[in-house]
Amino acid sequence: MIGLQHFMLVSAGLFCIGLFIIVSKKNAIQILIGIELMLNAANLNLVAFGRYDRINNGGQMFALFAIVLEAATTAVALAIILNVYRRYKTIDADKINQLKD
Amino acid sequence: MNPTTLHTDAQTVTLAIIAVVLPFAAFVVNFLVLGKSKASGWVSTLAILGSAVLSLNVFFRVWDSHTIHMQQVWFTIGATKVQIGILLNNLSVLMLVLVSLIALPVHIYSTAYMKDDTGYSRYFRYLSFFCFSMLALVVVDSLITFYAFWELVGFSSYLLIGFWYDRDSAVQANKKAFIMNRIGDIGLLSAIIILFTQFGTFDIDLLFGEHGRVSQSVIFEGFWNAVPLHDYEKGTSLPAIWHYIAFGGILLAVAAKSAQFPLHTWLPDAMEGPTSVSALIHAATMVAAGVFLLGRVYPFFSPEELTILAAVGCFTAFMAATIALTQNDLKRILAYSTISQLGYMVMAMGVGAYSSSLFHLVTHAFFKCLLFLVAGIVIHQIKHIKEDNHLDIDPQDIRHMGGLRKKLPLTFIAAVIAGLALVGFPLTSGFLSKDGILIQAFEWSEGKNILLNIIPIMALLTSWLTAFYVARLIFKVFFGELSLLKTFPSLQIHIGDGHWAYKLPLVFLALCCLFPLFSFNPISYENSWLYHAFALKHEAASNYHLIIPVLVTVVSLLVIYRAYLLYAKREGRIIAETGLLYRISFNEWYIDRFYRRVIVKFVIWLSGAAYWFDRNVIDGFITLLERINLCIAKAAAWCDKYIVDGVLWLAAETVQYIGNFARRFHGGKVQYYLYSMLLAVIAVFIIKLIWA
Repeated sequence: MIGLQHFMLVSAGLFCIGLFIIVSKKNAIQILIGIELMLNAANLNLVAFGRYDRINNGGQMFALFAIVLEAATTAVALAIILNVYRRYKTIDADKINQLKD
Repeated sequence: MNPTTLHTDAQTVTLAIIAVVLPFAAFVVNFLVLGKSKASGWVSTLAILGSAVLSLNVFFRVWDSHTIHMQQVWFTIGATKVQIGILLNNLSVLMLVLVSLIALPVHIYSTAYMKDDTGYSRYFRYLSFFCFSMLALVVVDSLITFYAFWELVGFSSYLLIGFWYDRDSAVQANKKAFIMNRIGDIGLLSAIIILFTQFGTFDIDLLFGEHGRVSQSVIFEGFWNAVPLHDYEKGTSLPAIWHYIAFGGILLAVAAKSAQFPLHTWLPDAMEGPTSVSALIHAATMVAAGVFLLGRVYPFFSPEELTILAAVGCFTAFMAATIALTQNDLKRILAYSTISQLGYMVMAMGVGAYSSSLFHLVTHAFFKCLLFLVAGIVIHQIKHIKEDNHLDIDPQDIRHMGGLRKKLPLTFIAAVIAGLALVGFPLTSGFLSKDGILIQAFEWSEGKNILLNIIPIMALLTSWLTAFYVARLIFKVFFGELSLLKTFPSLQIHIGDGHWAYKLPLVFLALCCLFPLFSFNPISYENSWLYHAFALKHEAASNYHLIIPVLVTVVSLLVIYRAYLLYAKREGRIIAETGLLYRISFNEWYIDRFYRRVIVKFVIWLSGAAYWFDRNVIDGFITLLERINLCIAKAAAWCDKYIVDGVLWLAAETVQYIGNFARRFHGGKVQYYLYSMLLAVIAVFIIKLIWA
């Protein structure tokens, strides 16, 4: 039977994949995709732990809330990426290094 | 003194100054304006002509009237005022006239003699400069300026001896003359210093004049006391030894300048200069400067010191005469004859024949100058023969000569007149002056020590030797047949007396060698105007006045006849060239050789030792210091590099390493930030795991 443990493992795998994408990929869109994966891993955890709160369904609710927020942040992030592209004519994360100053 | 005499005195002094400065002006003009132009000869000659005319003028104004002394303050050191001025008395005007009158014919002669020389204008520059120094030397009134011109005279002599500076022998000779004269200069300088210490003045008139401070000083009980300069001062007193040291200094100066034993060896070598220079400087004028100095400082000498002077002069006269007997170089014979005659003058000073000494100085200047000019012509003509026929001979060697009487008649007559004057024959000027010296020498030695009696006898002997070498010279050069014709029978000979510039000086000087110029009575020196002006007292006539002249003349005649047989007729046996006496004479008494072997060698050894010491000890010490310093510096450098710099370097490297390490976290790349954050989190977890 599929138990909490399996959900946790899938979630951890998703999280690690997302983290790996964020750290290794150069393209900002791909990094954004990595972030989505990590958020989804977190949502998966919330939903999985939601079984212990059947009355209020806090886990489900929070997951829904997070998904909405996620959509919003993604929109903002895409807008930022668009702006970055306009400004630097690239979305390569390595080349956008002006944060250091 | 009334104003009119003061005025004429000032005029006289001005004339004297112009006479002195004219040759200097010629020197400057030649040097700055004319360059290598042939006009330089005539500029110099005109200048000396002007000098001669002015000198004669000054001479007739001053001679036998009064002493003119004008001076002004030159500079002041402390309380000592050093004066510069002109002192015209009998002695200085006589020398003034003598120098300019001898220099004039020599200048004229030189314009012809040096005509083809590349250094023609340089020659006249030097000659004018010499005339200036010499004329100034005789008129200055202070020992300081005297010393300065004394040096300048020596310096111009140096320049002229080394005139042909591309000849090694001339360079050696001028070096030798200069060094020998320096030795004398040291003597003169020390004497001047001692005199100044004692008397506090350099003024010649004040020191040596009539009632001068020197004549008032006395040597008493081992102290040399001087009267004070002013009444309120105390008279100075020095140990008597300083008097003798000052005398030694003056003697040294005289010996060097007037070529007296033991400093005479530079004069024969000085014949490397042009013959006209030898005539002017090394026979007539400059070498007489030593005798002139004696005349200037005469009151200084004590009787014992005068005896030393007499001995030195007599020995020099005798020695030089014996050397002149066997020399083969025409100019060398004349050089030794000059030394011998200068010895006579010094001896005359020593025996108290002050006036005769100066008289002989004047007469000697004329006839010796004439002899040198004759020698110049002879050498010139032999050189012509040599060049015309491409021979390899020494043109000064009298063994090549002979029979020139017919070729050079005027020269021959001049040579005979000068030679007779040198021997001291009646009717010549030399007779008057030389017999004066001899007679006074005999009078002086009367009643003195046996040893001192040798001095006049040696002087008499010297006068016979003089007769012999003069006769030998004239017979070998002018009589018989030209020796060159025997070895080279096919010679081309075109020679003659030459240009008027050769003849005129000869005639002029030859006339000056005869008695009327000096005395209307040809046999009594005491009637000479020159003698009278200087004679201190009138001596009672003694037997010597008859005996000496007769003895000199008769024996000289015999000697000359003997020489005539030997050298003109080639009869009789000439003394063997291997004999001891001959070798001593021919090798110049081995004096030069002795100097070279002992003194020069010692000096060279000493300088070698000093060089070695400098090289090894002083330089060695410095090298050692240098090495030690170098070692210390190297250690310091190592220390600096590896310890001091090392610490700094380590600190810098550490900081840099840390900085480099930390920099990576802030590279501006978002992903790195994230990455490092992740690592930090992981590290926290790992640490926690381990600690747990």
